[in-house]
Amino acid sequence: MLRSERSTLRRFLALYAFLTLALVLLVSVFYYRSEERIMLLRRKAQVADYAADQIKRLRRLHEHFPRERTYPRDPRFRSAIYDLEHVQIFSTMRNNVVDFRRDIYRHDGVIHFVKLLDSYYLGAKYLFIEIPDDRTWFWTTLGKTALGAGVALFFLALAGLYLARLFLSPMRRSIELLDRFIKDTTHELNTPLMTILANVEGLDPSALDARQRKKLERIDLAARTVSTLYDDLKYVTLESERPARDTEFNLKELIEKRILFFETMFRAKNLELHTDLRPVVIHADRRLIARLVDNLLSNAVKYNRRGGSIEITLRPGELSIRDSGRGIPPEALREIFDRYARFDESEGGFGLGLDIVRRIAQRYGLKLSLDSEPGKGTEVRVMWKDVES
Amino acid sequence: MRRIVFLLLVFIGFGMILSAKTTIFDRNCVSCHRRKGVSLRRTFMNALLIYSGEKNMKAGLKYFLRHPSKETSVMGEEYFRTHRLKAPTTLTDSELDAALDTYWQRYKVIGNLR
Repeated sequence: MLRSERSTLRRFLALYAFLTLALVLLVSVFYYRSEERIMLLRRKAQVADYAADQIKRLRRLHEHFPRERTYPRDPRFRSAIYDLEHVQIFSTMRNNVVDFRRDIYRHDGVIHFVKLLDSYYLGAKYLFIEIPDDRTWFWTTLGKTALGAGVALFFLALAGLYLARLFLSPMRRSIELLDRFIKDTTHELNTPLMTILANVEGLDPSALDARQRKKLERIDLAARTVSTLYDDLKYVTLESERPARDTEFNLKELIEKRILFFETMFRAKNLELHTDLRPVVIHADRRLIARLVDNLLSNAVKYNRRGGSIEITLRPGELSIRDSGRGIPPEALREIFDRYARFDESEGGFGLGLDIVRRIAQRYGLKLSLDSEPGKGTEVRVMWKDVES
Repeated sequence: MRRIVFLLLVFIGFGMILSAKTTIFDRNCVSCHRRKGVSLRRTFMNALLIYSGEKNMKAGLKYFLRHPSKETSVMGEEYFRTHRLKAPTTLTDSELDAALDTYWQRYKVIGNLR
């Protein structure tokens, strides 16, 4: 999956997850509230009976006050009376935080039922009945809510995946179309390219005059450029999934061979080559490392200025290829390793090179670093853990 | 003679002490209710049934005492079969407030339940 695809998918999934969670949370809150209301309504009928009993007792106390001063108590509930001005007259309640606006509510482990008195016995307008909230309904509701939310999240996640596929399908279709085109083209390129290269190599340059030798050199250069491109396309479309054939080999020798292959290109652009190569043995698929080196060299040639320079340094644990080209703008650096990402349209190519480099580096756990300064050049460093160090 | 003056002064002194201890409520309400045989406790409890809170009750009673009527009285119809409606009070506003404060403090339920 390309980084642009990943980024789009990540944004879509983040938004979808946020909306899904918000929706599930909202529904859960509504469900919880409704269950709480149902529980309170069930308790209300019971507590209203307690209130009726208490009112009778208050009436009796009112009539016998002050001879009788003992506030009526009941083992089934606690209670409190408040006057019209919300001043507490007497209370046996455990929780005296009261709400005069609601008829029944939960607060801090108790249920309060509020009854408005028609006759203000002992001056009481409000009678509060308090019973404990055993919270069994809470745990039942929590269990049901968690189960419901889990099921809803599962189905919403499935819907999310389906939507994500739907959302990304136009982008994926375009990429697949491009991939298929490249695959088909690659297949067709093989025979003519091999024929050109075999024939060019078969010609004896010493038998040609200077003008024809120059022409032959140009044909050779063009054929090698196409050959590099062909190798890249072949890797991307046909060989990337092939199992690697890792062996131990000297990277210095491989680089020197690849430099030789690119020699015509260096010459064509009049590039000065500086190499500082130390023998380094690595364990990898020679063919893949050759692709990596080829792509870095090819970029160093392509984006270099005429008469510029290329410095290749090989040390245990590090390969560095520095060019004196036009450099890469900072805003393009983030996506430079993506497939089809091209920051400079003046040169030919499909934008595959650095994607191939990234994929091979990933395969072997190599670290890539790209430093570029517009107008001065670019340095690509490939680093690995050197077993000998 | 000296003895008579001394006894007179003692008598006046006691009188002053006693009058200072009796409140506006005692002088103007208790004496009248006692004379008419109407329990102040009973009127208080009747007022509580109607007015509930302290401020509301004081305001209701104050209005009734200024403008007495059977409709605004806390006593039932039965009461007026044997008693006449009282005359409007002649106390000033501050005296009436003081009398009602004493009435509330003396008969209130808040703080007297256990």
